[in-house]
Amino acid sequence: MKLDRIKIDKYRLLEIVSPVLGFLASLVVLVIIVVAVGESPVKAFVAIYKFSLSKSAKLATILSMSIPLFFAGIAVAFAFQAGVFNIGVEGQYFFGGLIGALAGIYFHFPPFIHIPVVIIFSMLGGALWALIPAILKVTKNVHEVISTIMFNSIALALLNYLVNDPLSGLGKGKSLEPQTAKIQSTALFGKINGFFRLLGWNVPDYVYLDYSLIVAIIMGIIVWFVLFRMRYGFEIRAVGTSLDVARYAGMKVKRLQIAAFLISGALGGLIGLQEIFAIRGYYTYNIASGLGFDGIAIALIGRNSPLGVVFASILFAFLKQAGYGLQFYTSVPNSVIYVITGLMILFIVVINEITAGYIKALRKKEAL
Amino acid sequence: MGQSMFIFFLVKGLEISAPIAFAALGAVFSERSGVVNIALEGIMIVTSFTIVWASIALQSVWLGLFFAVIAGSFIALIHAVVTVTFKVDQIVSGVALNIFAFGLARFLSQKVFGQETQTPTNPYLFPQLLGVNSVAFWLIPIAILAWFVLYRTVFGLRLRTVGENPEAADTLGLNVYGLRYTGVIISGAMCGMSAATLFPSQWISGMTAGRGYIALAAMIFGRWDPIGAVLASLLFGYADTFRIMFETKIPIPSQFVQMFPYILAVVVLAGMVGKARAPAADGKPYIKGED
Repeated sequence: MKLDRIKIDKYRLLEIVSPVLGFLASLVVLVIIVVAVGESPVKAFVAIYKFSLSKSAKLATILSMSIPLFFAGIAVAFAFQAGVFNIGVEGQYFFGGLIGALAGIYFHFPPFIHIPVVIIFSMLGGALWALIPAILKVTKNVHEVISTIMFNSIALALLNYLVNDPLSGLGKGKSLEPQTAKIQSTALFGKINGFFRLLGWNVPDYVYLDYSLIVAIIMGIIVWFVLFRMRYGFEIRAVGTSLDVARYAGMKVKRLQIAAFLISGALGGLIGLQEIFAIRGYYTYNIASGLGFDGIAIALIGRNSPLGVVFASILFAFLKQAGYGLQFYTSVPNSVIYVITGLMILFIVVINEITAGYIKALRKKEAL
Repeated sequence: MGQSMFIFFLVKGLEISAPIAFAALGAVFSERSGVVNIALEGIMIVTSFTIVWASIALQSVWLGLFFAVIAGSFIALIHAVVTVTFKVDQIVSGVALNIFAFGLARFLSQKVFGQETQTPTNPYLFPQLLGVNSVAFWLIPIAILAWFVLYRTVFGLRLRTVGENPEAADTLGLNVYGLRYTGVIISGAMCGMSAATLFPSQWISGMTAGRGYIALAAMIFGRWDPIGAVLASLLFGYADTFRIMFETKIPIPSQFVQMFPYILAVVVLAGMVGKARAPAADGKPYIKGED
């Protein structure tokens, strides 16, 4: 019995090894690139340190940046769990953000109702934008990778039209950026920096640690609970592991896949919360783009588990910050971070295949 | 519309379709060998940077094209190593390569030209024919050649066998891995042709604008067939040309016209239910010696 436990831990260890080795391998590539551009690696790492871990303000910035990244990662991860590849998180959060913002602009509620309402509307918007690709996948067998990419482009054009024309909130020449009307003050997200200061963490005022952090924590717990403590989550994971087995076990595979797709879209709808409700206070299609694609990388690095996504989104925020540090202090451009991120994913999945093969061989040997 | 205007619409449409069509043709070879290549978008970003860089550096657009083809093949080679040899999920590898390629082009642009999001203009260009880039016209012979290679040569037969039934192909003594490598590398090399027809005068970050993905949709719509893929690409290309030429004359908001090709792609894919079938082993890694 005791021996068994040790063996299981050995497998567990091997499974954790791939993200760690992948991360280290990509650091090696970073050093090679830094040397190739004629910078000293020491200078580069000092630059990264100064911009990320040196001060509590920088750490708080990383935490703040990781909030939208967490939503992006958990959205993609949830779909992955059901075997659905949602590349459309990009369009879903652009659309979800608008629907949430409209609820913030045109509804009148006291804050304790208005804030949950805009959160729910953001989720509904995200889910709505995932609806057609979800239905097309299960009824017409249209691959979601293609349909959601098309829907990303459709969303951008549609939002461009909506914000410029029917929903434009621009006064005469007040601002050059196309945007909607201002969101009601009752729907705006306040900061919780003061709470962290009470805990002894000196978070400066300019860093956004706002209500969206609380939403992220709650959503993370709910997603974990649904996936790993409820029958529904078990069925979703079963569909993701093997469609045939799930079907054979009598699960409603199509319905589960649609549900996972919509939940993924709903979680994606939350990506814009921080920027729209805490930072800007209005909606524009100029909100940060590309987070849907970051979410894919985060889900892969975090191995689709809520806790893994927490770590991966913080890692990703750290990497982005590291990129700014490199750009600021050395002649290494910020874009090197994308090169490193792409390679990191490749390293992780390749090392993962190798260790999986090794584990299989070990198990076979033990079975004999 | 006058006659000369009509001819211009025809050739302009060919020019606009060509980058999508070349990539779609390449994708046919990759997918018929059993490998989904969603990295087309990223590869196109790298090739369209390389053609500008190499043309300026070597003062010849032909050498530029040569190196664009090499660069595209190289990124595709990474995809082949990761997915064929290491059997990693093909979509995961493609997504990672797209992120990698996005960063790589910007990184190189910053390092070579001192600007991250665009290069200087490239004065070395392909000759014009009927007012458009003459390389666009290569599409027709290359499409016919692709059809011939796929259906009328031993190599094509083997490539298709590997994509349909790798176990049987292996039993027959075919080199499954080698053929899949070849298929994937052809798709990368064809993205070099895409770069030659997209905008060889300058590289700007974001200029591929999803054409790699549209090419994938076109390939599926074209039922994994070279001629079908080219015809589907022409549909997307001419829809876009129509928008560009007549946007101001249509009484609906331009954004809706802009959406049209994407909506068309979704509708077309949805309408294809039961009519098209992917190669049987498409997307599945082949593990030698497994039962």
